Amino acid sequence: MAFVNIHNLTYQYPLTKTPVLQNINLQINQGEFVAVVGPNGAGKSTLCYALAGFVPHFFKGEISGTIEVAGIESSKSTLDEWVLNVGLAFQNPFNQISGAKYTVFEEIAFGLENIGLPREQMKGRVEEAMKLTGITELADRSPYSLSGGQQQRVALTSILVMQPKLLVLDEPTSQMDPIGTREVFSTIRKMAEDGMTVVLGEHKVEWIANFADRVIALKDGQILLEGKPNEVLTSDLLAQNGFGISRYTSTAREAKKQGLWKKDSLPVTLDEAVEGFRNA
Amino acid sequence: MFENIKKDFTTRTLVLMPIAIAINIAIGQLVYLLKLPIYLDSIGTVLVGAIAGPWAGALTGALSNLLWGVLPVVTNTFAVPFFYVALVIGLLAGYFGRLGVFEKESPRWLSVLIGAVFFFTLTFFITAFLNLNTDETGYTTYPTPTDLFSRYLIVFIIAILVGAAVGYFLLQKGGYAGLAGLATGLIAAIISAPTAAVVFGGVTGGGTDLLVAAFRASGAPIIGSVMAQGSVSDPFDKMLSFMVVWLILRYLPARFKAR
Amino acid sequence: MDNKVSMYVVRESGLHSLHPLTKSLMVICLFIAGFILPYQWISYYLFIFIIIPLAIWGKILGDLLKAVWKVSLPIAISVLIIQSLFWGEGTALFEMWGLSPKKEGLIFALTSIGRIILTMSDLMLFTMTVRPDFLMISLKQIGMPSSLAYIVVTTLQIVPSFQRKASTILDAQRSRGLETEGSIITRAKALVPIILPLVVGSLVEVEERAIAIEARAFNSTKNETSIIEIPDTVLQKNIRRVLIIVIIACVIFGILWRS
Repeated sequence: MAFVNIHNLTYQYPLTKTPVLQNINLQINQGEFVAVVGPNGAGKSTLCYALAGFVPHFFKGEISGTIEVAGIESSKSTLDEWVLNVGLAFQNPFNQISGAKYTVFEEIAFGLENIGLPREQMKGRVEEAMKLTGITELADRSPYSLSGGQQQRVALTSILVMQPKLLVLDEPTSQMDPIGTREVFSTIRKMAEDGMTVVLGEHKVEWIANFADRVIALKDGQILLEGKPNEVLTSDLLAQNGFGISRYTSTAREAKKQGLWKKDSLPVTLDEAVEGFRNA
Repeated sequence: MFENIKKDFTTRTLVLMPIAIAINIAIGQLVYLLKLPIYLDSIGTVLVGAIAGPWAGALTGALSNLLWGVLPVVTNTFAVPFFYVALVIGLLAGYFGRLGVFEKESPRWLSVLIGAVFFFTLTFFITAFLNLNTDETGYTTYPTPTDLFSRYLIVFIIAILVGAAVGYFLLQKGGYAGLAGLATGLIAAIISAPTAAVVFGGVTGGGTDLLVAAFRASGAPIIGSVMAQGSVSDPFDKMLSFMVVWLILRYLPARFKAR
Repeated sequence: MDNKVSMYVVRESGLHSLHPLTKSLMVICLFIAGFILPYQWISYYLFIFIIIPLAIWGKILGDLLKAVWKVSLPIAISVLIIQSLFWGEGTALFEMWGLSPKKEGLIFALTSIGRIILTMSDLMLFTMTVRPDFLMISLKQIGMPSSLAYIVVTTLQIVPSFQRKASTILDAQRSRGLETEGSIITRAKALVPIILPLVVGSLVEVEERAIAIEARAFNSTKNETSIIEIPDTVLQKNIRRVLIIVIIACVIFGILWRS
């Protein structure tokens, strides 16, 4: 029995004409790091919302099929219970700051206060979570005085402190500068290495190739392809369907046509490309 | 009853309210700095009333004024005592919203009519206040309508024409919203006058002071002059605010209007 | 707290360490006493003999006086001039250049100014020594709904960022040729290209912000706890009870006196 089980999921937002997800079947094992790629409008965000319970609880709309995490179905749970199972972080770091707290320390504790955790337990958990994500020195700062990268790490910490079983991230570095991106990715990677089950919606294929266990390619609300990163991200199917492909992949593909790339498999990252061209 | 009130306050509404209050303050301050004789400090309140209902609108209005007093920004600790006025504005915006004024288009002739009637009534009140007389026994006598018309006929005609133009160009198809705003503004002016008179003697340091001083100089007694200031500023101000909200809501995709 | 989100002055003092509710009741008591008790110059007495000593205890005297001066001075001058010169019938104090200020107007002005000073300094005393979020926590502990706490603190925090947003839009439009000085029409026209982007841009954020707090179990039905503990003492609890009694006594006294 898979840890995360999406079965025949079809979903349509209210007041829209077509379903944004069609017949999605997906299984994820505990501890796996799954990346979801796809062009805009493919349904990445909606899939993230579905795993996090916001589809259907927050957005309403028409849904059929089930979403199950750790044996519980999301439709049978209330949203405020479900968010304890599945944590969600998304693109805009500024919008993820509650605004209700003056310091980072309290901001992270916000979720724990809401679920009524006793004060003695809260302090320990918050400090632990901050250590995990490396933001202990930000504890007394105001969340609004931080950089985008720092704010995103605070958001991640605020979710992690609630000890979810599954972490869902919807393009968390889209609005970051390169430094912020690096900070956020290294935090996520640490989570994954510590055993967290992660679903990451992303465009940055090079990074995914290095760290994801599996890649799901989504197009028009359906799963086009799924498998190991190197297979999926270099496949011709993706190139034909308007997915963002790593420039190393497209360069090597062209090189292959002209006989300059000798390997069977195409590279996704810089290192793979260098290695492949060097040995040609 | 409380269950009904609670229903107005979904998470989206709760998130909207601080943003709406911030909009009130940001725009209100902008207008103050531009030294325009209006307030426009209720756009957020009206917006919340229109989107989320009367109770949310009322709370937004009240909190706007109360919190404005404690923010480290320029101006408007003087907004604090008028929190109940802002509350009523939010409440009315909500009820008018339920009647659909922010969704319907009105025929242009209605807007023209509203503009003309408003400016006509305005001129009527202003000229009446300017001509109050106190006789020996201390009674205030009001001039008769025929009196006013004969003396100020040209002014009245100009007022009607200006009003018609304002209605045509400014209100356009938002006549219902404009009318709702006018009504709200009138009520706001009336209920704010006592506080203004008692607390400040009608002087707040903004662009409307000159109006008050002008009225004062003509000899009109204190409540009258504050009322006149209110009647010049408030109904027009609220009419504008309702119009702006009408405009925004008409062109916003449905998704962002969810409560 | 490294963000200037309210007028709270970060300082260690006896007054600062009092429980927020104690300070709230003190401030309310002073306000009610100043406005209800029927003594002509009570606002000045309260200001000099109670508020100033409290400000000294709170080590905020300088900040308080500066703030009160800044807000009250322009108002005081306007009120003084307008009320004494345009009072209408009354005893003239002197005649100069055709103007004759009236004694009644002057007294009215001074009483008004006294109340303004009392209100301002009372409010400053409160906002400079009470952390808004601590106040909200203590109110929650006596039963205030946490959604209200959320709205108040969030508003205080995002208003500065909103004003920056409004400024940014203003500058962007100016660089595209928007005129913000000149005739009233010019200035008024400058409003539209600022208001619309500001409001629409904010509405778009509402959904995400709502999702973000729901993801932190904002709507949980469990009893909330607080990671911050606010110190309180038995003495203060008793003082609060006494203050409530004093407030009620003032109100009753004031009502009886007037009837």
